[in-house]
Amino acid sequence: MTSRWTWRFLALPGVAWLSIFFLVAFYAVVAVAFGNQDTLSQPVPFWNPLDWNVGYVVDVLRNIWHGEQYLTVSLRTLEFVAVAMALCLLIGYPVAYFAARHAGRWRGLVLLLLIVPFWINYLMRMLAWINLLSPNGWGTTVLHDLGIERLFITLGLLSAPGGWLEGQQSTVILALVYGYIPFLILPLYAALDRIDQRQIEAARDLGASPASAFLRVTLPLSMPGILAGCVLVALPMFGDYFTPDLVSASTKTNMIGNQIDQLTRQGSEKVTGAVLTLLLAVVLFALMYYYLRSTRRAGMVETE
Amino acid sequence: MRHPKDRSGLTRRQLLRGAAGSALGVSAAGLLAGCENTTEPIGAGGGGPTGPASKLVVAKPTGPGGLPLPRPDNAVTWAITSNNRPVAAGRPPERGPLRVYNYAAYIDPALVKRFGAKFNTSVQIATYNSADEAIAKLSSGQVAFDVIIGLTGSNIVDLIAQQLLQPLNHEYLPNLKNIWPELQDPFYDRGSRFTVPYVVWMDGIGWRNDKVKQDIASMDVPWDIFWQSQAYKGRVGILDDKQDALSMPMQRDAMRAGVRPDLNTESPAAVKHSQQELSELNGICNVKVTITDFQTLPEGSTVLHQSWSGDLLGAAFYYLPKGVKANVLSFWGPDENGVVQNDFLCIGRTAKSPVLAHRFLDFLLDERNAYQNFVDFTGYTPPQKAIDAQALISRGLIPPTLTKAVVRPDQFAANQELLQLSVEGERVWDNAWSQFKAG
Repeated sequence: MTSRWTWRFLALPGVAWLSIFFLVAFYAVVAVAFGNQDTLSQPVPFWNPLDWNVGYVVDVLRNIWHGEQYLTVSLRTLEFVAVAMALCLLIGYPVAYFAARHAGRWRGLVLLLLIVPFWINYLMRMLAWINLLSPNGWGTTVLHDLGIERLFITLGLLSAPGGWLEGQQSTVILALVYGYIPFLILPLYAALDRIDQRQIEAARDLGASPASAFLRVTLPLSMPGILAGCVLVALPMFGDYFTPDLVSASTKTNMIGNQIDQLTRQGSEKVTGAVLTLLLAVVLFALMYYYLRSTRRAGMVETE
Repeated sequence: MRHPKDRSGLTRRQLLRGAAGSALGVSAAGLLAGCENTTEPIGAGGGGPTGPASKLVVAKPTGPGGLPLPRPDNAVTWAITSNNRPVAAGRPPERGPLRVYNYAAYIDPALVKRFGAKFNTSVQIATYNSADEAIAKLSSGQVAFDVIIGLTGSNIVDLIAQQLLQPLNHEYLPNLKNIWPELQDPFYDRGSRFTVPYVVWMDGIGWRNDKVKQDIASMDVPWDIFWQSQAYKGRVGILDDKQDALSMPMQRDAMRAGVRPDLNTESPAAVKHSQQELSELNGICNVKVTITDFQTLPEGSTVLHQSWSGDLLGAAFYYLPKGVKANVLSFWGPDENGVVQNDFLCIGRTAKSPVLAHRFLDFLLDERNAYQNFVDFTGYTPPQKAIDAQALISRGLIPPTLTKAVVRPDQFAANQELLQLSVEGERVWDNAWSQFKAG
């Protein structure tokens, strides 16, 4: 009994921290989104739900319904995140698989290399890419020499040689992949590392080919890691606004985060900014809910 | 209007954003006591809603707080109220320290050091990233500054409405006589009761004359270059500011028609039309929306950009990569019917060293000091009678291709300032800007 209360007591600071810095802050966003603005164009939060003004929420929903700017950026955001997440998975899974199952005595080094990007600030890494991808940058030269630039131009993903920073959607997506891929690899590595090697060996003993053993055993067992990784990369990508700003700055690559940033930072539409924040949070909550349900199901399958 | 030094957006130099807006409880009736030229206040006449609904926005041809919107044809003299008097004349300066609130890198540190030595005091500079942030922090009461630098006529109504400024005592400001006459008595603050000018600038076109073939300055309507920039796709930019950017097609249309535009219009149709014209640039040149032209033009990653004049001079002074000469940068700004802006200096209402603050203002209004601040540091033109572009060119300080980046008094008078809009007008512009930026 004492032990149980000790743990509850130890959890108290964390709960208090989350209550103050998440729940209260989040409720402030809700109160602003359902509030109004005063005669100085500043938001007036309505704290009491009985006073809530749904006008701004309705305006944004109407805007989306009529296919105006908030729908445009929402769909673009969805597209960017989906493609970037898929690329993260395609690139990240083999890396995590190698690190977990084949790195052997190099595992420590591989893990270290996976963590190294976290040592450098995300924005600094993006700023470095601006120099690398400038028309005379090393990155541009390498991409040209490897034929990747030509491939991108052929596929219509790049408008001109050396034009990586000329407002390209492909550059923004690749930057998102680069920036967030470690968040996918690490949980995936943990999931793959936990898989009991004997289960794979059993599959092989029972006649499964390596590919079949992977598809029928390894892949299903790594599903919680895949889901966790996808959620971990998708959540920050949905709210990202500085990556498109830094590597593109074109209106054609603006995401929902850019709209929120612009609306909340200055001007008279801060309440609308809060509404978009709230709607984005609802979508992310739904994503999170799906993840939790899926992992719970996966857990049940595992224990059966 | 966003300020050239507004670094609240993501730039290479500063990446953090301005503070979120705070709810402000200001009584419209109380505010109007501070204003002599006014119109009917919001909510006046009684019978209005009560409770939270009483704070709802009511569209009126007035600005924030129900105060009048200063315009060249609607000059405003802000009243000096009994609870906010200027400091008495003839007092010695306080010991300080002098607390200054400014954009980052917007005053010559050597000049500040010299002031400190002259008055045997220390100067503490705190910086803000955007006017919104500055006003939000000042109005929160959490920060108290003696001198505030960099706000403009597009902020004056907010500042007065929230009573954030202290009236000036001109006895301490003899150097005000050095300033262009029209800015000694500006329409947004008749009698310079609360503000004195700091620097001026204009909106124009910055380009790399070694990469852009057209002779932009000699075009009938130079703004047309943006709609003829297919050859520079991906390397063309406009300013990341709703008023600067959306007013550009308005200037273009007016220049073609030979009429004077209203760049502070609140007509939804006019603003929408401008947005549609601007959106054409997405297809024509995949336009970038940035305020980093001071860096990207010298680098060559953009070759054509709508620019603030001071940023082009700053680019020539500080941002040229090795091997790139200043004369590859060109700037054009309209002689009339374009956009100019004026930053002002003011004293915070809660200033603890008001006399020292006045001395600092006067120090910056001094001809030599203003000149030093301009050519040694900011690149932004002080509206001093003694400074002209030709003299600077003859001294080799700026290349002839950037002559137009030094704002002349006649040019300032014939152009327009982008000013604070009514609450409803602001929303019209914000919505158009949001549509444009969605691509």
